[in-house]
Amino acid sequence: MNPYVLSILLMGLGLGTTVTFASSHWLLAWMGLEMNTLAILPLMAQHHHPRAVEAATKYFLIQSAAAATILFASSTNAWLSGQWDIQHITHPLPTVMITIALSLKLGLAPLHAWLPEVVQGLDLTTGLVLSTWQKLAPFALLLQISPEIPLLITSLGLISMLAGGWGGLNHTQLRKVLAYSSVAHLGWMMVVMQFSTSLTALALLMYVIMTTSAFLTFKLLKSTDMNSLAMSWAKTPSVTALAPMMLLSLGGLPPLSGFLPKWLIIQELTKQELGLVATVAALSALLSLFFYLRVCYCLTFTSSPNNLAGVAPWRLESKQISLPLATSTSLSILLLPISPAILSLTLPLF
Amino acid sequence: MHLTTMVLSSSLLTIFSILILPVLGTLNPSPPGSLWATNSVKTAVKVAFFVSLLPLFIFLNEGVEAIMTNWEWMNTLMFNINISFKFDLYSIVFTPVALYVTWSILEFASWYMHDDPNMNRFFKYLLIFLIAMIVLVTANNMFQLFIGWEGVGIMSFLLIGWWFGRADANTAALQAVVYNRVGDIGLILAMAWMAVNLNSWDMQQLFSMTTNQDMTLPLLGLVLAATGKSAQFGLHPWLPSAMEGPTPVSALLHSSTMVVAGIFLLIRLNPLMDNNPLVLSTCLCLGALTTVFTATCALTQNDIKKIIAFSTSSQLGLMMVTIGLNQPQLAFLHICTHAFFKAMLFLCSGSIIHSLNDEQDIRKMGGLHHLLPFTSSCLTIGSLALTGTPFLAGFFSKDAIIEALNTSYLNAWALVLTLVATSFTAVYSLRVVFFVSMGHPRFNPISPINENNLTVMNPIKRLAWGSILAGLLITANISPLKTPLMTMPFVLKMAALTVTIVGLLMALELASLASQQFKIKPASAPHHFSNMLGFYPSVVHRLAPKTNLVLGQLIANQTIDQTWLEKTGPKMTASVNLPLISSTSNLQQGVIKTYFLMFFFTMILAVLILVI
Repeated sequence: MNPYVLSILLMGLGLGTTVTFASSHWLLAWMGLEMNTLAILPLMAQHHHPRAVEAATKYFLIQSAAAATILFASSTNAWLSGQWDIQHITHPLPTVMITIALSLKLGLAPLHAWLPEVVQGLDLTTGLVLSTWQKLAPFALLLQISPEIPLLITSLGLISMLAGGWGGLNHTQLRKVLAYSSVAHLGWMMVVMQFSTSLTALALLMYVIMTTSAFLTFKLLKSTDMNSLAMSWAKTPSVTALAPMMLLSLGGLPPLSGFLPKWLIIQELTKQELGLVATVAALSALLSLFFYLRVCYCLTFTSSPNNLAGVAPWRLESKQISLPLATSTSLSILLLPISPAILSLTLPLF
Repeated sequence: MHLTTMVLSSSLLTIFSILILPVLGTLNPSPPGSLWATNSVKTAVKVAFFVSLLPLFIFLNEGVEAIMTNWEWMNTLMFNINISFKFDLYSIVFTPVALYVTWSILEFASWYMHDDPNMNRFFKYLLIFLIAMIVLVTANNMFQLFIGWEGVGIMSFLLIGWWFGRADANTAALQAVVYNRVGDIGLILAMAWMAVNLNSWDMQQLFSMTTNQDMTLPLLGLVLAATGKSAQFGLHPWLPSAMEGPTPVSALLHSSTMVVAGIFLLIRLNPLMDNNPLVLSTCLCLGALTTVFTATCALTQNDIKKIIAFSTSSQLGLMMVTIGLNQPQLAFLHICTHAFFKAMLFLCSGSIIHSLNDEQDIRKMGGLHHLLPFTSSCLTIGSLALTGTPFLAGFFSKDAIIEALNTSYLNAWALVLTLVATSFTAVYSLRVVFFVSMGHPRFNPISPINENNLTVMNPIKRLAWGSILAGLLITANISPLKTPLMTMPFVLKMAALTVTIVGLLMALELASLASQQFKIKPASAPHHFSNMLGFYPSVVHRLAPKTNLVLGQLIANQTIDQTWLEKTGPKMTASVNLPLISSTSNLQQGVIKTYFLMFFFTMILAVLILVI
């Protein structure tokens, strides 16, 4: 892509999220969200092949429907309460509508159906942006609203965790697997939102780090489905050794850093006497863990001297900058011992 | 310390050291010579016997009894277990008897087992058994008694399975272990009850603390232990099966010493049972049933050792009856006299078996009183003593028991059964003597019949003297603790002798019919009942294992494999999750209508439920 166009699009992407972060007026927030959508669309369709265009189209339709609903709901709130302040939505109807619209934007179940299709149609870099950057702005809004409807929040969270777990088990395409993993992680974030927004932010932070690492790993290995992962031990043995750690961290296994948000969330839920919710959350983590393990299996357990699981690919020298991959992988594996420090990062947020 | 007590205690401890010394000698890595068995073990037992006469005479002279507590073994704040020996009437009299009998048996065994390559090990096992038995009888607390109890059980297992190449021997040893274990449950129950409720296992404390307590549960446990160890009805089949072991083993363990351990336990703990009519009646009826049942079984057996085994079992039932009559001292007397003549009967049968080239079936013996005069006369002496011929050893104990039974106000049914069993005793004893020593020979002409070896004859001779004199000696020197009833009607006084003579005459009549066809078809039903041991082993030994194995299969196959692992465990997880997985991922087909529909419906649902 033309570097000027690329830089404008990226800056637009950044500006959109920043505007949403900085806004206290609903219209400004909506504007930031729309800027995000519009900026990423060309990025999605840059390869001009039908699958990418289809993904871009679906993404556009969904996001604009969500943004329209946000606009409608904030207008309703303005009509009912006379002000456009983001943090002062009082009436339950706009709250519910905005929450559901933001869930659609994020890809929370039962409004997650678009996410796997869209992520599948993108290349890994754009998919990374979609999974990480695009989640920040809607989450900022959600955290500020802090809807006080426990039933809605908890059910959105639980259904997301379960749908993310069950849905991801039937796929071999890595991008779809990562999409469902994002659904599951969003479920974890939602469940604790009504009790401790800092934990939600922590979960989001950890999720961003781990997903970055995942996408960058798959980009390095140039593999988009599990079969092609089978030859990674020959391409990059060190990545093959560390990637399972990162995937298990996504699965929430101690002593890796992905355990931190899950642990603190379950602790918070237990303190709030929601033992059943905590149990269901922990059990659904098992479902996700299974497909992470399956990816690990394809990565490592098929290494020599087993039979060759895939066709030997072209091993061209990779021009990818290794710093982001190294940093994100290290962070996603090793952060657990300094959990108080990580927690303190998110504590003053809200 | 007083001189007498010191002599008593030190001589009794000397006995222990003398017996333990050969066993410790086997820890030497170099194997002992071929004469170790004779020179070391038998000599040790002989010396121990003579040493044990010293405390016996001191006791007879001065009536001194002693209790020695040697070592505080496991002492906590709450509970004390010490090593403590009790030398009272029972242990002081039993120890010389046991040592005398063991001495004779060991001497006999050096002839009987002389061509066995592992004879040294055999003698070691017998010696360890003897030590365990003496630990049992001299124990002053339940823990030490239990050590001796288990010790004799283990040695019985090892010795019954001596010829372990033979499958029957292995099953017999296993039977012994299993039946003994069932009895051990009772003993452990009693010990646990005492530990919990009385906080002591010392016999003195037990006797003093239980005068007002309801002791039915532990006493029933002790009766169960005696049932197991002394082969009372219900747990009896192991004793005839134990005849698979060599004859010295049968003579020592399963006639004189080990099987009386159960009765000895009840004798020792008799003060606990004094006031409990339930337990006493249980012992009475159980003993009566045992004695008549096993005597019935003995009537049609054809293996000489089995007949003597059943007679042992019958005498054990009689001892249990005596316990039930609350006459422990009479039971003890019968233990001592029974040891002599029963061991002698076994030794005679061992001599006969080896002389006929290991033939044990009485239908293939005969006319041995010409060929083995000494052995067959001792067999006759032993049988007469067993049946209670006046003034032989068995008479003093057996007749006293039957008199006590006749003059008591207890269960008449038990009385009748005991008298019937007494007559059966005469019948099967005569049967043995008739088939073995009378008539014409029915064995191969060339048999290694030999009575010239002193190692065989001397033990049998010694035991014959014991069978004749022991009853007189013991009753003359030990005064009874409970006053026996001296006056009774003439019929009751003569009852034992009468039924014995009636049995003898009937047996003589039947023996004379042995070679004639009296009836066209013999009465097979009673014969089968008796010969198949009342069908007890046939039923129980198939039913119990089958039940347990079926249960095991149910647990392993149906419960674990099919239920826990398949229906409720891993496979259930998989089978439940699979439809959910496929439906969740098949929900979207890539059609955007689905996405919007879900959005729309979620919105409507949420608004309706949460707002309105």
